[in-house]
Amino acid sequence: MQNQKQTTHSNSASWWAVARSEEVTSKKPLSSDIGNQELVIWRDAAGIARAMEDRCPHRRAPLSRGCVRENGLIQCGYHGWSFDGETGRLREIPNMKSEQRFPPLYKAQSFAVAESGGFVRVCLTPGAEAPAVDAASLPLYGTAHVGLAQEHYLSTFFDDPGMLFGIKGVEFTPYLASDLKAEAGRLVMERNCQWRGLHWPSSFSSEFPISLLSKTDPLTGETELTLRDDALRTLLTAVIAPVPAARGSTAIRWRARLAKTLNGLRAKQLLIGAPFRVFDTIDAAALRRLTPSASVQWQDLRAAIIQTSQASAA
Amino acid sequence: MLDNIAGPDDSAFTSPAALNDINNWVPHDIVMRDAWFPLAHSAAVGKKPVRRSVYSVPYFLWREDGKAVAASVLPGAGALPETGLTDAAGRYPVMEHYGYVWCWYGNPLAADPLHLPSIPYLPPNGGLPGYLTGTVRFDCAAPVSLENLIDLTHADFLHANVVGDEKSESETVEVFSDSETVTMVRTCIGKSVAPVMKFFSGIRQPTQQVRQVIRIYLRSHAAIAYGRFTPGDDVPLFHPCVPETRDRTRLDYTMNTSNAGLLFRHVMPKASYIVSRQDSSMTSPQSPRYMHESKRRDLHSKFDVAGQRYRLLMKNLVARQAAGDFSYRDNVSADCSDLIGLRKELFRY
Repeated sequence: MQNQKQTTHSNSASWWAVARSEEVTSKKPLSSDIGNQELVIWRDAAGIARAMEDRCPHRRAPLSRGCVRENGLIQCGYHGWSFDGETGRLREIPNMKSEQRFPPLYKAQSFAVAESGGFVRVCLTPGAEAPAVDAASLPLYGTAHVGLAQEHYLSTFFDDPGMLFGIKGVEFTPYLASDLKAEAGRLVMERNCQWRGLHWPSSFSSEFPISLLSKTDPLTGETELTLRDDALRTLLTAVIAPVPAARGSTAIRWRARLAKTLNGLRAKQLLIGAPFRVFDTIDAAALRRLTPSASVQWQDLRAAIIQTSQASAA
Repeated sequence: MLDNIAGPDDSAFTSPAALNDINNWVPHDIVMRDAWFPLAHSAAVGKKPVRRSVYSVPYFLWREDGKAVAASVLPGAGALPETGLTDAAGRYPVMEHYGYVWCWYGNPLAADPLHLPSIPYLPPNGGLPGYLTGTVRFDCAAPVSLENLIDLTHADFLHANVVGDEKSESETVEVFSDSETVTMVRTCIGKSVAPVMKFFSGIRQPTQQVRQVIRIYLRSHAAIAYGRFTPGDDVPLFHPCVPETRDRTRLDYTMNTSNAGLLFRHVMPKASYIVSRQDSSMTSPQSPRYMHESKRRDLHSKFDVAGQRYRLLMKNLVARQAAGDFSYRDNVSADCSDLIGLRKELFRY
């Protein structure tokens, strides 16, 4: 099963948000993963983010336990072999003096990297087209890990996002303003919300003061969230990127930003403390009881979008 | 005990082919066009726009010079998107009747007041006090909610603490239908008195005669639920199930108990808050199980005849619409007072 997952991830030309930009430096290599594919990520001498398999082809030591050299090569901490992140080729072996020429076979697997919007994204498929650049980098950020497979994480998101993340003072209701649907190659839905505090229970409410619009990439599950008031003014924007990680867990990297203008007292409360957070734990008992709803359609819609996309590409 | 389940044209609904079809239905897939939907109580619509939706299509409702209007975007939001559901001015057809703002979903040129359902116990010009109205929501598909309503056997169990248990001396059920409506009439003799009537209408007798009518306007997903209790009060409920999305239902109800005693008049409309949660406890988990076709067909008993007919009529209407036929073959606005056995003397409008 794990192997199948890995195959799925590596076969799809998906760009996975494997790190936030701040995490990737030229000081220290970062360990990350996409499913069972372990990665090492760092910045080279030009500040460009690089990604390779986290495995030295010499003695299989994790490259993430090595270091980044001043010239931008990543050096294995075991025997000091150094690799070029762009090609993955071996460039130096300590004590080889002037004989630093190696056949092409001497290389580690490198992966394409694209960085924008405050995320470093990696594609496991060679030659994949780079994703569109997102110029906006949201100033609030964080990373959470949950012991729930990404597929289930997403289905939970479609049924009850309140189990996965919180927006300060906001209650998510079960009542959708629009069904989950395919729109411009993404899975789109809108959920009615209420401000926390004294109010009618959502099942008896006539009007809802806020709603959460979500747009989810069908391949990666990366989701753009927009909290809006009843005049459709944006209050908060967030991006959550749930990436499948080892042993069926999921790493969720997220970024968020409050709107410059917040109308109303309830909206202004978002300014106090952290307005957005992704939970590290999920109530398994509640998860087990959660009634499937919008998620029932998810896989079919996802497959349809992917099929359409592949057909148009062909 | 159920003595009789009958309708004038039962054979068309009990053939093996029909039963095979209706026991595997997918209400999630139903999208009914060319219908009036009661999107808001009139009192809920003012100068500030309120947001509603039909099958996820946004409807913003507000008043201009006192007149209710509806569009797919907020006023002043710029160019109106072409959806095929609005007129040349980018507005949805709107009419105000029975204390509701009704919006048309479908071809705007086909919008006709003639297709507005008949609700004879609501004043045509509205004006009922607010305590007779309310809003409840169901996280299920609207047809699931309506099938639940017309299902006569669930109430005695799920709502026994409000409407009484299943015990009665005799019980007769009749089902009538045309291409646009299905009507179920349930007559019980010697039925246990509903607790809500014991406590709030002061009924002291051990049993009462009950005549309950559920009439569903298929296209509008709206139902009449009219109960006559002797001794006791009439309970006339308008029960519209607006499919805001395919799996979420909004119910802006009106229970016109204005002729009942003071206590019952005020309390009974609030029972919806209890009853709706009881219904939701079942319909919410049901709904996702009706999102796809299943190899396992539903079982049914003779008690399900009204619900079975509802399913078949809906499927017929869906098939007609899929073939491009959106015409009304029967008149839904014709007065149905006699059919539902309305005590007209109580509702002179």
